[in-house]
Amino acid sequence: MIKYISKRIIHIIPVLIGVSFISFSLLYVFPGDTAELIVMINTGTEPSPEMVEKFRAESGLDKPLHIQYINWLSKAIRGDFGTSWSSGEPVMNEIMETLPASAKLFFSTFAISVGFAFLLGILSTLYKDKIIDHACRIWSLLGISIPNFWLGLVLIWIFAVHFHLLPAFGYGSMEHLILPVLTWSMSFMAIKTRFIRTTLLEIMNEDYITTAKAKGLSEKAVVLKHVLRNAMIPIITYLALGMSHLIIGSVIVETVFAWPGLGSFLVKSVFTRDFPVVQALIFLSAVLIIGVNLVVDILYALIDPRIRYSD
Amino acid sequence: MKKLMIIFSTVLLIAGCVMMTGCVGESPTSNAPADTQAQTNTNEISTATTTEPQYKDKFIMGYGKDPKLKGGKWGIGFFPKTQVLEKLVEYDMKNDEYVPSLAESWEFKDGGKTIVFHLKKGIKFSDGTEFDANAVKFTIDRLIVRNHGLAPEGADVIDKYTVAIHFEKPGFFNLAKMAEFHFGMMAPTSVSPVGDPNGTLITPIGTGPFKVVDYKKDQYSTYEPNMYWYNERGIKPKFKEFVLKVIPDEDTRIMALRSGEVDGITDFVHGGSEYTPRNQLNVLEKEGFKVYKRDIPITRVIAFSYNKEPFNDPELRKAVSLAINRDDIAKVFDNQVRPAWNGMFAPEAPGMAKAGIKYEYNPEKAREILKNKGKEGLKVNIIVDKGQGDQILVAQLLQQQLKNAGFDPQLEILESGAYKEKRNSGNYDMRLYYIGGTDRRFYLRMFWRFYPDSKWKAYESEKVYELYKNILENPKDIDKNNREKDLIAFYKALYDETGVVPLYHDVMTVVTSPKVDAKQDELFEQAEPQFYCVGVRK
Repeated sequence: MIKYISKRIIHIIPVLIGVSFISFSLLYVFPGDTAELIVMINTGTEPSPEMVEKFRAESGLDKPLHIQYINWLSKAIRGDFGTSWSSGEPVMNEIMETLPASAKLFFSTFAISVGFAFLLGILSTLYKDKIIDHACRIWSLLGISIPNFWLGLVLIWIFAVHFHLLPAFGYGSMEHLILPVLTWSMSFMAIKTRFIRTTLLEIMNEDYITTAKAKGLSEKAVVLKHVLRNAMIPIITYLALGMSHLIIGSVIVETVFAWPGLGSFLVKSVFTRDFPVVQALIFLSAVLIIGVNLVVDILYALIDPRIRYSD
Repeated sequence: MKKLMIIFSTVLLIAGCVMMTGCVGESPTSNAPADTQAQTNTNEISTATTTEPQYKDKFIMGYGKDPKLKGGKWGIGFFPKTQVLEKLVEYDMKNDEYVPSLAESWEFKDGGKTIVFHLKKGIKFSDGTEFDANAVKFTIDRLIVRNHGLAPEGADVIDKYTVAIHFEKPGFFNLAKMAEFHFGMMAPTSVSPVGDPNGTLITPIGTGPFKVVDYKKDQYSTYEPNMYWYNERGIKPKFKEFVLKVIPDEDTRIMALRSGEVDGITDFVHGGSEYTPRNQLNVLEKEGFKVYKRDIPITRVIAFSYNKEPFNDPELRKAVSLAINRDDIAKVFDNQVRPAWNGMFAPEAPGMAKAGIKYEYNPEKAREILKNKGKEGLKVNIIVDKGQGDQILVAQLLQQQLKNAGFDPQLEILESGAYKEKRNSGNYDMRLYYIGGTDRRFYLRMFWRFYPDSKWKAYESEKVYELYKNILENPKDIDKNNREKDLIAFYKALYDETGVVPLYHDVMTVVTSPKVDAKQDELFEQAEPQFYCVGVRK
């Protein structure tokens, strides 16, 4: 098992280096003179050429790309992503300030959407082609089709404007969390429900399931004890991919509800060409996905011993 | 099956209960940072009589942008620049004059290369420190060390209430700069170390009506009345706390107003973005909300890539102008904006009325021009900044109007950076742009839009440049009458050459709940709304 985990960790290193270089260099293909645009956006005035050149020199934008990358990487591995070009504050400070709001929104949404996705997926499988199955499928289709921004505004109109039950926007108490979570979990849940249902149904056709049924086990026991366990590997993989939303967040939900999360912070940073922030968020997002995948690989080995022995 | 249904129903019931428990408790209207509203304190202006209205202690305003109270590299946001800080002078557009604000008088020396300001005495910053020449020098030096594009050459303290500010070039424009947003006078105690122009901003301290109390980035900022400012004017504030809540989405801002969570919503005080959708204003007014509106001299225009074909030909530019029905464009905004029939600048701009300019809508004439030039079906591209949603609607309407006049227009909706690259490289035929801003930016925009070396210029020609230079840099144009003559000639030159095609003049709005008391002339004594006068009746 230790050998298995060590192997996985070693495989991560070249991936991290590749990801760091891509996230670092990606924004340099964006159109526009970066220095000039940043100065103009953040001062609200058209800057003088001297101002632009001074900024270019101060921020190291005048150095060759590979030198900029090495300087950046040597600090990044120590958690130092420099200072934000918009605010002048250390990037990690800005991220850590925003992270709690993102985490609150993401984990609440994740918990609710995954819980309901499992429930609806299993019900849909158990009652395939019955009314419950059709209802679950229509529900998940609606969840995928309805745009988040529209749903968010409708929920605000119903619960805040019409009934004055919940706040329309903002961050702080439990009350503020309800509508953003409801909005975001609709699409989250819908996609996961469909995936779980599809995966369970595929496994239902396997020979060992036929055997289990032939042995006299009830439909419920077959699904919950045999089908579900075998479906966990693809399901866990799929759910793990969703972890990237912790960093990227849901820009639309955050904008509609004025939720101060990392998603809108990332988008704002892209528009203002705040490179240190964008690089840090993309890099951290990639690190998180890689880390989660490592955990998933370890979980595979726990769930399915065949994997650890064959590796 | 029955068991499963019971379990499912129970789960739904529990989930419903959990949701409802979140709804119990404080009403959504108590959505302020401390989540309490001091309902019981008697308002300062309440008296024993029943005639004076009673006001709530807290006023909550919804706003589209973070006020950037920590400043950072680029300074604080426009909201504190207009509510917390004051400038040495203010601009009276109606009379084309600069009027005293923190300075009571001034003299031009050396053709305007130096302006000596005599400061008002007895003015205090909100922290009780005195506003004097040292504070002016500190503010100017801070702009210089930050290499601000408008920074003067330097400032010298002559005595406690006299300061000389030096500029690179002569002319009237130097005075215009002093009314700019970025020239709000800040107390040396705003930074650490105190008085160090390179110091770290702790909190902006100004002489304006608001004093910063609390700030949470991208969420809210809280202000208290600066009683030095109020006492100076002999008026009393109608609130004890003013909370500015950041709500980036325009529809959510309106919903927040409708739900009662905010008492008012305002456009971005700089103008031009993050504003209440114009086509919602009539609807809100009908619902009983109060809509305060003020015309501002921002003109949205079509700018051309005039150094290359086809629009290096002024006749073809004129054809574009003839093809545009500006009334239809105003309808996109529910007629809340003013169609620009009478000139490139807003009608209230100095000299504009006397210039006697009138644009014409005549698509047949436009067709005629294209036919005579052998350019029927001329393919042209229009670039639009994707970040400006309203401009996309305008561009789509323009596309139709130009088609009707015989052009073949193609729209390119671009991300902001891509738009600016194309703009700077001249790799387009037409683009949507704007000239002007709130009143104080009238001359400044002229500088940015018509200065030949400016990358952000809208148009240049020898004649326009000479006139512009006269207005801004010739010492003789410090005299208002000379300046007006040159302004009129400038407007006419732009019109004759069809340097740009004006479309409409924008407005600034504030929308409040019916319970809010505010007077139009107090709220808009300047182009940017001044919130010192607002109050929510209990």
